[in-house]
Order: sequence, then C-alpha cells, then structure tokens
Amino acid sequence: MDTDNSTAVAETSEDTSPTTAKSSDSVVIETRNLSKIYRDFWGRKKVHALKSLDIEVKPGEIFGLLGPNGSGKSTTIKLILGLLFPTSGRVLVFDQDASETQKNERIGYLPEESYLYKFLTAEETLDFYGRLFDLSAAERKNRVKQLIEMVGLQGAKHRQLKEYSKGMTRRVGLAQALINDPDLVLLDEPTTGLDPIGTREMKDLILGLRDRGKTVLLCSHQLADVQDVCDRVAILHQGELKELGRVSDLLKVQDVTEVHATGLSDAAKSEIAEVIARHGGTVESIDNPTATMEDLFLNIVRESEARPGARRVSQATESKNSSNGSTSDGDQA
Amino acid sequence: MNLQLDDFWSFYEWFFRPGAFLESAALKGIVLAVLGIVLGLVVGYVISSSRYGSGEGFFAVARSVRDLFRFDLPGTRVRRILALARLAFKEAVRRKVLYVVGLFVVLLLLAGWYLNPQSDDPARLYISFVLTATNYLVLALALFISSFSLPEDIKNKTLYTIVTKPVRATEIVLGRMLGFVAMGTVILIPMGALSYLFVTRGLAHTHAEVADVRELPSGGFEGETDYTRFHSHHFELNDAGEGVTDMVRGHRHVVIRKDDGSFSVGPVEGALRARVPSYGSLVFRDRSGNLQEEGIDVGNERLAGGYGSAGISRLIGVARGTRKIEHGYVEGGGLGTAEYTFSGVTKERYGSSIPVDLSLRAYRSYKGNIEKGIRGSITMKHPSKPIESNPIGFTVNEYEVDQKFLPLEIEGTNGNKTEMLNVFEDLVDEKGRMTLVVRCLDDSQYLGMTPASVYLRPTDHSFAWNLTKAYLSIWLQMTMVTAFGVMFSTFLTGPVAMVATAVCVLLGFSAEQVYDTRHYIDAGIERGGGPIESMVRLLKQDAMTTQLDVDTVAAKVIKTADAGIVYTLDAIATALPNLPKMVNTAEFAASGFDIFGALLARHAVATLGYVVLAFLISYFTLKSREIAA
Repeated sequence: MDTDNSTAVAETSEDTSPTTAKSSDSVVIETRNLSKIYRDFWGRKKVHALKSLDIEVKPGEIFGLLGPNGSGKSTTIKLILGLLFPTSGRVLVFDQDASETQKNERIGYLPEESYLYKFLTAEETLDFYGRLFDLSAAERKNRVKQLIEMVGLQGAKHRQLKEYSKGMTRRVGLAQALINDPDLVLLDEPTTGLDPIGTREMKDLILGLRDRGKTVLLCSHQLADVQDVCDRVAILHQGELKELGRVSDLLKVQDVTEVHATGLSDAAKSEIAEVIARHGGTVESIDNPTATMEDLFLNIVRESEARPGARRVSQATESKNSSNGSTSDGDQA
Repeated sequence: MNLQLDDFWSFYEWFFRPGAFLESAALKGIVLAVLGIVLGLVVGYVISSSRYGSGEGFFAVARSVRDLFRFDLPGTRVRRILALARLAFKEAVRRKVLYVVGLFVVLLLLAGWYLNPQSDDPARLYISFVLTATNYLVLALALFISSFSLPEDIKNKTLYTIVTKPVRATEIVLGRMLGFVAMGTVILIPMGALSYLFVTRGLAHTHAEVADVRELPSGGFEGETDYTRFHSHHFELNDAGEGVTDMVRGHRHVVIRKDDGSFSVGPVEGALRARVPSYGSLVFRDRSGNLQEEGIDVGNERLAGGYGSAGISRLIGVARGTRKIEHGYVEGGGLGTAEYTFSGVTKERYGSSIPVDLSLRAYRSYKGNIEKGIRGSITMKHPSKPIESNPIGFTVNEYEVDQKFLPLEIEGTNGNKTEMLNVFEDLVDEKGRMTLVVRCLDDSQYLGMTPASVYLRPTDHSFAWNLTKAYLSIWLQMTMVTAFGVMFSTFLTGPVAMVATAVCVLLGFSAEQVYDTRHYIDAGIERGGGPIESMVRLLKQDAMTTQLDVDTVAAKVIKTADAGIVYTLDAIATALPNLPKMVNTAEFAASGFDIFGALLARHAVATLGYVVLAFLISYFTLKSREIAA
C-alpha cells in the first residue's frame, strides 16, 4: 500500500497543473485510505479521528456523511478542503490534491457555523468573497444581487452581520458558498440552528442545487435531513466507515409492503386484510398515518401567513390539536 | 547633532562598501537570504519528515518550493490582495485604532505642560517631541494591529471561509501587510499635518514693541525688541530703516522703520529650516604641523557605539566597526590645524558669498579669560598651491550652529605676494575643491571638531519637505514592524507574536549595547560581562571593572555561558534591522538639517529587504500549516 501510495503522489503532483480537464470528472471527490490522527504539541497521539476512509462522490449527487458527534464527519470535510493535512492516504478533489488552491475555484463551502466577518454587511460580505474569486465588478454586483434574493435577505442586506439572527447568518453563509457558482458544494451541518422553516428551505435549496447539476456533500447528525435530501450516505462512527450506499436501498425494509389509499371504509379495510391473509401475508397494522411534526408545523406556519391573526382550526379533532400545538412548538424550537 | 562616519556614505557606498565588501549591506542581505533559505529548508524538512516520513518529507519540501514559483506567485491576483487589504483595513478601523490620532491630539494639547518654554532651542524641542511621539505611537500601533489579526482569524475560524476560496498564501500575507500599512499611512498623514501645524504655530510669534532705540552716529538705528516668550532681540537698522535682529533661540525677525517713525517687527525667521550641508574631508595637523588622521583626544571622546555600520565583518570578528567618533581637538598657538577640503565649490552653487556653519567645541586647559570665548580663525586655502586668504577670526559659540559667510573677494598671499584674491579663481582648484583651515588662536587652549562640524551650506530645503521625509522614515519603520508582526502571527498566537515582534524591535534598538558587550568579551576587558556575570556581580555588589570574584571553575563556566548568550544575541541583533539609525532621522529634522536622500534610500532598501524576507517566511509557514488544527 505504501509504495502504491507514493507512486500515486508522484503521478498526480505532476498533472495538477491548472489545466486539469473538467471532462475527467467521473468522480468529484475521492478519498483513498484516508486517515487522520490528531497529535498534541509533543507529537503524542491524541485522537484517531479518521481511519482508512475510502469514499467516492459522483457528479450530480447529494452525498451525506452521517454520524454522531466526534465520528469524523467534520474532519473528513476539512481534509477534503485542505484545512487539515491527512496523516496518511490522500484526498482528490476534481482529480487534484486537496492541498491545491486551484480546486477552490469550483468549490463552495458552508462551514459548521458561518465564520464570517461580523462587521461587514451581507452585501459587503458577498462582494468580498466575490473579489476573492477575482470576479469583475459587474459580475460581482450581479451575483450578489441574485444570491441575496435567493436566500431572502433583501430587507437586511445593509445591516452588519453582528445584528443578524442565527438563521440569517446561516443564509449569508450559504450565499457566500455559492458566490462562484460552484460545481461542488460542501455543507457542514447545514441545518443546525435553523428553525423548521429554515430547515425546509435549506433542504429545498440543496435539492435545487442538485437539480442544477451540482454535486453536494453534506455532513449532519440530523437524520431526518439526510434522509430527505441525500442520494447516498456514508455512516461514520468513531472514525470508521460503517455503512455506505443509496439512502433508498439502505432504508428499504425488504419484506414489508406499504399501501397508501384514501376513501376506504372500515369494511373495505377488513376486506383488504382478508385478501392479504389469503396470500399468506400478515397484516401488522391498518391505521391512519400520522403526519410528521415537521409537516404539521409547516402547515401551521403556512396557514398563519395566509390568514394572519387567526388561530388554526384543524379538520381533525380540535381538542387534541390545541393541547399538542403548544408543546410541539416548544419541542421543535 | 553628531554625525557618524557611516552617515556620510552614499547609497552606493553603503550597499557595496567598495574595498570592504564584508561590511556592505548587500552582503548582509545575501547572507540573510541564504540563511533564511537554508534554515527554511531544514526546518521545513524536519517538520514534513515528521509528518510524512523522511522520503516523502523531501518531496513535500520540494513541492512547496515549486508551488511558490509555479502556482502561487503567478496565481497571485491584485484584486484578491486588495480585497484582503481592505478587510484588514476595515478590521483595524473597527478596532478603533484611529483613536490613536485623538490620543496624539491630546498629547499635543498637553504638550505645554512638559515642553520647557524657556528652552534655548524651542524648534528642536518641538520637532523632536512631535516626531518621537509619533514614532513610538505608530510603532506600538503597528505592533498591536499586525500581530493580533491573523491569530484572531484562525481562532474565530473566519480564515476557513477565506482559505477555502482560491486565495493563495501569498495573497493572505501581502493583503494583511498592505492593509495594515495603509492603516498606518492613514494615521500618519493627519499626525504629520498636526505636527506641522503644532510646530509652526507653536513657534510663531512677533514682538509688538521696541525699546531703547538709538540713532547711530553712522546713520541707521539700533535697539531692543520687547521681552516676549522669555526672550528679546537686539537689532540694528541701516540708513533706509531696514534690518534684522540678532539670532536668539534659533530665530530672528526682520525689523523695518516705517515712514511715521514707528517700528514693525516681522514674523519668526530661520527657526524652522533644513540646511543642506556640503561636508568636506577632514585631516588634522599636530602642533609641529605633521598630518594626523585624528585630532587630539582631550579625554572621554571615545564612546562606545558605531559598531553597527560594520555589518557582517564585525560579527565574524574581522572588523570592529567604525566606533563612534567624537571631537578631535586642535591645539592653539602651535602649528595645529584642522583642514576641511570641500568639493563642488562653484559659482553656480554659491551666489554672492559662501555660507559656512561652524559648530565647534572648546576645551580650556587653563581658565584664561572666562568671560570671553576661545578664539579661532578660518583661512581659505587652495588645496594644492600655496595660495591662501588672510585668516578670518571668530569667537567660538559652543553648542550652537554659528552661521558665517565667507567673502568672495579677500586679501591674501599668493606665494610670497600679498594681493586681492578671488575665491573661485584663485582658491578653488580645477576640480572645484577648496580647503578651509581652522585654527585655535589662544595658546594652549583647544578647539574640538568632527567631520560634520564645519560645512558649507549651498542651499536650504523647506522645512515642510524635511518633516515629510522624517515622517517617511517613520512610515518605513512602521512598515518593517508590520511585516515582522504579520510574520510572527503566521505561526504564533496573538500575544506571543506581539511579544516576539516587540523583542525584535527592542533588540534592534539596543543592538549597539549588545555589540559593545561582545567587544568587551572579545577584548578581555572587564565591563561587567554578559548577563549571568552581571547578575552575579549585582548580587555580590561587585563593581563592574573588577575581576570577577568567584572561584576559577565557576568563573570559567559563567564566562563561557555568557559568551554563548552574547554571541547568539549578537548574531540575532546583527540580523535585525538597525532601527536606531532610522529613528535618528528625527534628530536631523530637529537639528534643522536636511535628511539626506541617500540615508532615506538606504532605509527604504533595507525595509524592502526585510519585508521580502518576512513575506517569504510568512508564506511558507502559512502554506505548511494546518489552518483547522
């Protein structure tokens, strides 16, 4: 493995010229045997943060890195960005070594918390990052306007970031990650600190990015987010890759069949149960599906925006809803 | 102001030191660059081999060197540097560093409390006050803003969003340096303007009344002005009722008698000036008339210092440096003289007379007539032919610049004949050179002088321009400190980077003392020794010139350890910029001398050199550092 590795280093370091062909992007990110050990000042081993990670991210997909805190997700992202250097193994981004600055031309990165300069306004922030991509003044003006609209900060674009709420800062963070219209977007915990609406919007944005042909790598410990948007996930635990695959495949319960139908009477339901029994199946439950708290909350907000001031009157049992409504608010926030 | 030998060097002489290349700035620059490269490669290899293993470490170092020239320097974009510079600038503004200007204003407002209004030379006092205040304020500020910014950005992780853009390490370093230098410039400009106003307004005054006016028998008037600002002037007017007062406290006034018989005294003249001296080469003759390199040492004239000009050659023990020169003395009565040979004495440079300034010292070997000053004379002489003017006598005005004018037509001797001589035709040789011979006229009394004590003064430059040059010098120092601060902040945390920069500045300031200690250790002279020996002496309460009073083994250990420390300090101090030399330009402005262009050019080139060095070190450390670690 060692000799293998060093020849690979020699090869790629030769062809990391700025003209690296865009066409060869059959793989956007590739990690080979990637390991990271954090050491203290004296070189003693502190944490083995990542152990021999091998993943490939393909163009146009949303790839999720999943895992509990301290499982190596952020470390992986930082290695991909070249913010950290691997202890062994390597990372290729667009076929270039992660330590090359060149690759950043095509990358957008939203850090875990939006590490932005608090004394700049949203507009200044985006303009500044635009300059770092050496964009011309006209181009910057254009893009800044577009992005501010996209993340919905028109009303606050002249305010300093220190006055922003967490959600707004997050949006500026996302906007700065997209200033160069990147081919690859890296999102570190994109939904932490966002309210349910913000989370939904963020998810829609991510899906929108994929629709526009971008590759997205995100890491999160909010399982629902990953489930909703990711095409493929890698599950990490204690620095080791535990599972890797398509979300739909991983979550599919092979021997259970789900049927959704509306307008069925109780008689019809029992008839269906009989049919199932006749075919040798077992009915586990026949029930009304419950919506997720997210759906409920989003419905409430949507309606309240349509009819301000009115309290939501549910078509379902009112008493149940009113007692739930207040607690659900607290839970979600 | 006492100029040292190396102050006279032209830029070329300083850079190459013809005949003594070991002392040259060029060599120092080369050695620093080579040392930087070698140390950089070694340190880089040690770090990367510990990270990747010995073989791969070599490639890593080679790669990062290649990256600089192949990608990072060509990939450096002005727009990005400017964007980062603007950010650094804004950040500095946000840190409220502009308040420093306010602090400066307060200093100026309160200046009256501690600037002595009865000073003999108020111009000097005012100018050196504003320049010193500006210098230290701005250096402290540069130290502060440059060393905290980058570590703060790493701590706040704001740097994450920057280095994940196509930003090169070159741009991060240059952007910072540029932003902070711009900040410093923005602060220096109002400070300079305020200083100018403070000095000019502070010195401006006139005398409203005149007193004791008498008509002179020869026509014209004489009298005294009133006593304003702790002084008054004596004045003499010609037949037409025009004249000037005498010089008091470095200035005079024009006095005019108006038609109605009243007198009007004009504004201050001559207080703020920038004399452009034309210095000559100096040789002495002893009492028997033999040529000597140096004048007579009347005691305590050989002070420590002046080593710095010897550069590398002193460090490796080849030369000792110029040593500080003080006054050489000429004995009165005998054949003792001091001879200055000036070049460029032409009609074009000097109009109707040749201005010559004298700032001589007097040394009395007996009391004599204490009421009267020591007398001396100047003789104009042809450098090679036996033609010389009659002596022009003067009385020494110690601690003041005595301004005289040499006449262009003067009686003198040509060989054996006595005739009227024309200075440009008879006393100046074909290369435009003329010799001035200074003698002491009182028997067994002495006149002291340095090469800078007697000079011709073809023109004056404007004070405003000279003050600007002094500020340019401060600007250069600030740039240097900023570069060092940024350099240290690429691998140290904010406070530590600041301390490191401050240590560099302080060591730069006290370099001469370190060199001096080294000199005494080398020469085996007991002067308190190095740090450990000094400590022992302090504790034992021993005088510093006695033999170290401990047993031989202990003495050997102490002296060896001290030598190690002092040699190391010496090497570091030699590598650092010579800040005292740069601060010294304030002395030029304060003493009313034009700051030589060559001196400023030397400082500028040295600054540029150190900035490039700091830039390269910063680049490599930033490049090889894990930003997220």
